Amino acid sequence: MVGRQRIFVRRRDGRIEVRLNDVGRSVAREAFGHVVAAERDPNHEWHVILNAPIDPSNDQDDPVATLNREHDTSTNAELAVMTLNDQFLNDAEAWAWLCTLQVALRSTAIANGLLSDEKLAACGPELLDYVRTLQAFLFELADCF
Amino acid sequence: MTFPLYDAGLPLRPAVCDTGVVGAVKPLQRTESDTEVITGDAVETRRPWNVVVWNDPVTPMSVVVVIFRKIFGYSNNKCTQLMMTVHHEGRCIVWSGERGRAQTYCVKLQVAGLQSTIEQEQ
Repeated sequence: MVGRQRIFVRRRDGRIEVRLNDVGRSVAREAFGHVVAAERDPNHEWHVILNAPIDPSNDQDDPVATLNREHDTSTNAELAVMTLNDQFLNDAEAWAWLCTLQVALRSTAIANGLLSDEKLAACGPELLDYVRTLQAFLFELADCF
Repeated sequence: MTFPLYDAGLPLRPAVCDTGVVGAVKPLQRTESDTEVITGDAVETRRPWNVVVWNDPVTPMSVVVVIFRKIFGYSNNKCTQLMMTVHHEGRCIVWSGERGRAQTYCVKLQVAGLQSTIEQEQ
């Protein structure tokens, strides 16, 4: 019987081992890089997505809340970039990876209009492959928490 | 040891009196919602704020459960129930209470990549 090779494994010492190959890490690098860029650049395609309304009934959200969101998203993305080549992650680093991968996944979906199961199924093979890859990373990483 | 729920000698229910003998006691007022507080003539409304999570077609279900557990500290069963409600109904109220805390939870969910908003209960 051949066991499935896992991408993220929780070790007995509590650390999470990252078993991504070079291709996998390049996919993660691209996703993390987009989130960092989107937070800094107001013209980035994802910038509006990262600044979604908190209270839609108000014309403007509380500036402290939006500043906290911006800070926390950037911190997670930068920590994920810094630990991109690490073989082991601690809990905080793994959480930063999970949040940043999830932000990248949802931003990709919204930017490409994948707002329903039908649209997701009908999208091009390259985009679908990218979405499925991020989903696989997230699925395995979530299993470590 | 058990403690009495009421002081001895007090009636379990307020007595209904129309004789005018107990004139100083104001009649009980029923409010439209339990959270309305009557203070003199003014009625202060304190409806709770809800944190709402919205469905999307790409987020893996297990990721939603992990995020709920990490942010709210709910049990695995409760997180799974909430996730299934989001999945089937398109949205789910995951927390209710004071506005500031609702806003903080909403931001945490957004930072974790979920679509969430806050709204005041109708």
